[in-house]
Amino acid sequence: MTVVNLSDELGDASRARLATLADVLIPGGSGLPSASDADVAGQWINRTLAANPDLADAVAHVLAVEGAPGEVLERLRIERTDVFDAFAFAVSGAYFMNPAVRQALGYPGIAPRRMPAADGEAEYYLEDDILAPVIGRGPVYRQA
Amino acid sequence: MVALEQGTWVDPGSLPGNKPEYELLGSKNWHPSPNVRGRREDYPVDTTEADLPVWLYNGVGGSSVLYGGIWARALPSDFRARTLDGVADDWPISYDELLPYYQAVEREMSVSGLAGNPAYPPGFEPPMPAAPIHRTGRTMAEGMNKLGWHWWPGTNSIPTQNRTHEGKCVRYGICRMGCPEGAKSSTDVTHWRDAVALGAEVITRARVARVTVDERGRANGAVYLRDGVEHFQAASVVLMAAGGIGTPRLLLMSASERFPDGLANSSGLVGKRLMLHPYAASVGVYDDDLENWLGPAGEHIGSMQFYETDSSRGFVRGAKWALLPIAGPLEAAEKWTDRGSLAGEALWGDGSADRMKSFVRMLQWHIVPEDLPEETNAVSLHPTLTDSDGLPAAKVRYRVSENTNKIIDFNLARSLEAHEAAGALRTWVAGRNFMTGHNTGTAKMGDDPATSVVDRFGRAHDVPNLYIIDASVFTTSTGVNPTATICALAKRTATHIASNARNQEVGS
Repeated sequence: MTVVNLSDELGDASRARLATLADVLIPGGSGLPSASDADVAGQWINRTLAANPDLADAVAHVLAVEGAPGEVLERLRIERTDVFDAFAFAVSGAYFMNPAVRQALGYPGIAPRRMPAADGEAEYYLEDDILAPVIGRGPVYRQA
Repeated sequence: MVALEQGTWVDPGSLPGNKPEYELLGSKNWHPSPNVRGRREDYPVDTTEADLPVWLYNGVGGSSVLYGGIWARALPSDFRARTLDGVADDWPISYDELLPYYQAVEREMSVSGLAGNPAYPPGFEPPMPAAPIHRTGRTMAEGMNKLGWHWWPGTNSIPTQNRTHEGKCVRYGICRMGCPEGAKSSTDVTHWRDAVALGAEVITRARVARVTVDERGRANGAVYLRDGVEHFQAASVVLMAAGGIGTPRLLLMSASERFPDGLANSSGLVGKRLMLHPYAASVGVYDDDLENWLGPAGEHIGSMQFYETDSSRGFVRGAKWALLPIAGPLEAAEKWTDRGSLAGEALWGDGSADRMKSFVRMLQWHIVPEDLPEETNAVSLHPTLTDSDGLPAAKVRYRVSENTNKIIDFNLARSLEAHEAAGALRTWVAGRNFMTGHNTGTAKMGDDPATSVVDRFGRAHDVPNLYIIDASVFTTSTGVNPTATICALAKRTATHIASNARNQEVGS
């Protein structure tokens, strides 16, 4: 087991290993890139660990385990659920931050953005007397 | 008026909701658990003997900074649990007594919603128009109508019109991480700014170590620590608003020769009867993109169909349902990855792309069950663990009761039926025993000093100039989000103090 110090920048070898491991979790398809194609092991993991430094230990732990990526992660999933969960959270957090992924998933913009309600929008969704049956049944609370 | 606050003011610009890392920041520095945030001002809460973690926020505005903003008055039946259902205790006050205070704070908290909800007695008329229920609410509403079940457009303390200090909601959908627009009614926005302008002083980074008493047993001030230096703030009247965990912690830390078991604790009930509302969630995956990330969050619609007791169900009391947005892909992923998820398949690996592409086609019901009081569920002082000032951490012992579990089981099953009626392609239970931040009951309100901590006005039975204005005074937890009742009770207490100022005993 190799000790990886994430207080420094990840080296090229560690990034390559991270990309391979991340692809096991997120292989892509159906219009979504794989984790490696989405550059999870590049700028996005940097930003992930900057936003939540607590995840660095799990990433370092997984990177330090030698073996075939699929087997490594499956063993951790069974034996070290805490490490597996934190690693998967870090990898997916990095993946979902990529604007191309976010767009492909159907989320607007690079982050939540102002989308104030339009005039009449509240009334629009209540058209066709959709509340009438609820009102028609009368009170549903107990007198006390 | 001097407020001692262990945290700091929140700079809306620092809140994560409009940043690309928002969900990651919400998993650390803006996480609702003080143990995860681990800031200097976050006293640890030991939950190793609890079925769920504890949610709270330490800063100006308290937990309202991170709450979702769902605004729900308690029901008339909530104040009469003993009389109606033979469990717990009746409150010493009624719904009707609290009604004018609900109405007053709904204006101050810019509550938006639609009048006429048949789940409430007449007179629940939110001062601001309701937010759109959106595609999410419309889809679910059609399913609820097929079943003949109650639903109503969401009522939230989130303004839909511009106010003095608040812009109107712009629907980021991240209310539970704090609103970067200042468009959620957290009390740092709605009250404290005005209070400071009117002369109140807020001392931040001031961690109260104990409330002090004079030779007659009246509260006369507080000792607090700031940057490691001890200070004393004198007071004629002391109000505590440290929440259902922090208030009993502080009362217990304020033990003295006169009050050896903790301040205001002659009943022995300080810290006991903790109720947490362990909530559960169910999800459905639908055909269409529902834009389920759109705010407010806040509820889009709510349901009280299964709120009132029906003895044929095998339990007493009930639950409120709230249809909430899903803030982003990490929250959506948790519908598979949470340890309590019954998705029946892993999110990761082959096929994960198709599962991820269903994120925006999901709806989620949150089920908030009423939690009945038990003295074994309690907050105490930790024997060894301390905060950053060396004061005892809080220790929480809490087990979900059989009745609460039955409420959750029943309501989760019904919520899956609701998803199916609304057209879901797949449904599953996404988890249970989630923390709500609804930390109630640890300084019980009642008429009898032998069986309660504070009286009907929130005044400690044992200390005539000590008042508590947070959820610790709840006699029962009710089955709804507590903020409306916390605010109404605080307003009632404040009104009582002002009205009776001439007769108020004060410390010396």
